[in-house]
Amino acid sequence: MSGGLTLDPSSLLGSGPTQIERRARHMDIGAVPVCAGALGETIWLACGDGQLRVFGPDGAMTPHKAHRGAILSMAMVPGEDALLTGGDDGRFLRVAGDGTVAELAHHPRRWVDHVAAGTGGRIACSVGRAVHLHDGDGQVHALDHPSTAGGLAFDAKGGRLAVAHYGGVTIWSKEKRGWKPATLKWAGSHTGVTFSPDGRFVVSTMQENAMHGWRLRDKADLRMSGYPSRVKGWAWAGALPWLATTGADQAILWPFDGIKGPMGRSPLQLCWSVPSLVTAVAAVPGREIVLAGFATGQVVFSEIDAMAEPRMVKRSAGAPVIVLTCTPGGRLLAADEDGCMLWADLSAI
Amino acid sequence: MTASTQVPVTVLTGFLGAGKTTLLNRILTEQHGRRYAVIVNEFGETGIDNELVVDADEEIFEMNNGCICCTVRGDLIRILGGLMKRRDFDGIIIETTGMADPAPVAQTFFVDDDVAARTRLDAIVTVVDAVNLATHLNEAHEAAEQIAFADVILLNKTDLADTAAIAAVEARIRTINPYAKIVHSARCAVPLDQVIGLDAFSLERVLEVEPDFLTSDHDHEHEEEITSISLAADQPLDPDRFQFWFGQIIQRFGPDILRAKGILHLAGEDRRYVMQGVHMLIEANFLGPWPPGSRISKLVFIGRNLDTMNLAEGFASCQVD
Repeated sequence: MSGGLTLDPSSLLGSGPTQIERRARHMDIGAVPVCAGALGETIWLACGDGQLRVFGPDGAMTPHKAHRGAILSMAMVPGEDALLTGGDDGRFLRVAGDGTVAELAHHPRRWVDHVAAGTGGRIACSVGRAVHLHDGDGQVHALDHPSTAGGLAFDAKGGRLAVAHYGGVTIWSKEKRGWKPATLKWAGSHTGVTFSPDGRFVVSTMQENAMHGWRLRDKADLRMSGYPSRVKGWAWAGALPWLATTGADQAILWPFDGIKGPMGRSPLQLCWSVPSLVTAVAAVPGREIVLAGFATGQVVFSEIDAMAEPRMVKRSAGAPVIVLTCTPGGRLLAADEDGCMLWADLSAI
Repeated sequence: MTASTQVPVTVLTGFLGAGKTTLLNRILTEQHGRRYAVIVNEFGETGIDNELVVDADEEIFEMNNGCICCTVRGDLIRILGGLMKRRDFDGIIIETTGMADPAPVAQTFFVDDDVAARTRLDAIVTVVDAVNLATHLNEAHEAAEQIAFADVILLNKTDLADTAAIAAVEARIRTINPYAKIVHSARCAVPLDQVIGLDAFSLERVLEVEPDFLTSDHDHEHEEEITSISLAADQPLDPDRFQFWFGQIIQRFGPDILRAKGILHLAGEDRRYVMQGVHMLIEANFLGPWPPGSRISKLVFIGRNLDTMNLAEGFASCQVD
């Protein structure tokens, strides 16, 4: 591929499998997919049976045993050929691109619920209410919270760590004498968190059918509500950037440009196609593209443009698509709840 | 097992020392070929004989849904979600602490979409100590709440109490909860099909359990904080009138109404309208035709201060004129 992604011209109106589907690799892995990420053109899928399944640039799959129970979370290490995983066996692992596994910590009888990786060698994992922040210099800080951590995220520079929990989000900032907390309050249970790429905003997913955000400069609230179901997946997409989210019958994209971000603005609604809910979203790094996976198994592609016509990537029905990821070069993995995979090279078509 | 299969969840409640852990270990060690994941409390009794044991830490979350009594167990949402990523067990058992309020546990199964899609509450089983129940009831309100929420009450240590004492304990239990199945046991020796695999929360099961309508006539030797009221109506109910009255009751008194169950004859409808709920969370549906014979609507409330809600008059006034 030298130009852009060339996509299947399948319009919404066709029937039967799309051209991409017919050429794609399909497999049943017999395990629940948990999350996926890309290291270069290789896609790593974390699974509920403790294995990492690695899809090479040619689509060939290699399994790697990582945890003894389920893998609960995974994070790609920025700028490195490595990723982190946490499991219900209490282990916090670093896995290199060649498959070498190193145990970073072991918390017997506990679950490592969430992991996050920042720049400068900073990494973190959560075990119940405690977040263990490994500083680049080898120090480990135990950060306590009022309730179990629902999600973790570093900002792009690695100097701040956001922890979602019941009642809000705590932002830990690196200062001369260690990490200092600041609390962003909002009633309810916060189940996930992400910084905007420029670090000006932080956004959480909630137990309710809503997201909540804050502008960090002044802690101004951003209400992102109106979803018919819970928001469980998100992806930063496009140059603006947009925060693409699941939870509605289309991918909902909130604008995060300008001083106000999404305050008082309507989101873009893309990938309209089937009367079903979006259960996974993915961006293609460096491109104005969003992909949405649906509760009824379809995968739809759209350019990020209010006038864009959505295109079908996978038209065949199936179990809810819960993991969706795409490499910068256009290699796509869609995984459904029952463990059925579709791997496709969108650039080769 | 595919992701769409609902995993049954049994909730074990009961005071410390009543025999919860004994029952749990019996369930786990008996030869039944089923594999269970067990969720225990960090302060719970130790010595559980199972491979897959998860520690929970009772985090009670209020929901932002305008329902004042709607609390859920955040830790259970997280743990059940994590367990659903594995596929190597057939059922889940949640052991609560002796002092736990069962409402947030039960409500978790109504409120969280993922939990509701992938698991189903099989039954709340409360283990009661036949010798010490009276003391427990007098000392802590949680004892009565655990009985109020139970689908099955395992009246344990019956070998240590005489017949009269057991009858007295049973009468007190019936005053609080006329619905629950009471099973007698010594050292929790009870056929397991009496406590697991009951599907007690399904609407179909509401039809099968005949509440003890004599309860209200029992002598009130003890003033219970939590009581029950069983209502019957022989005339069909006006659907609009009933919905309005029942909605109002739930809105006003939801925090005091712990459980409600009903089988109703709505005017102009040949099918039975079956409902059940926990506090303000009510599920209802039409289920099958009435059997031949008379169609009597029955409604049971379990809760506090029921005598202040004019339930009998209100229910009677819902009948068509």
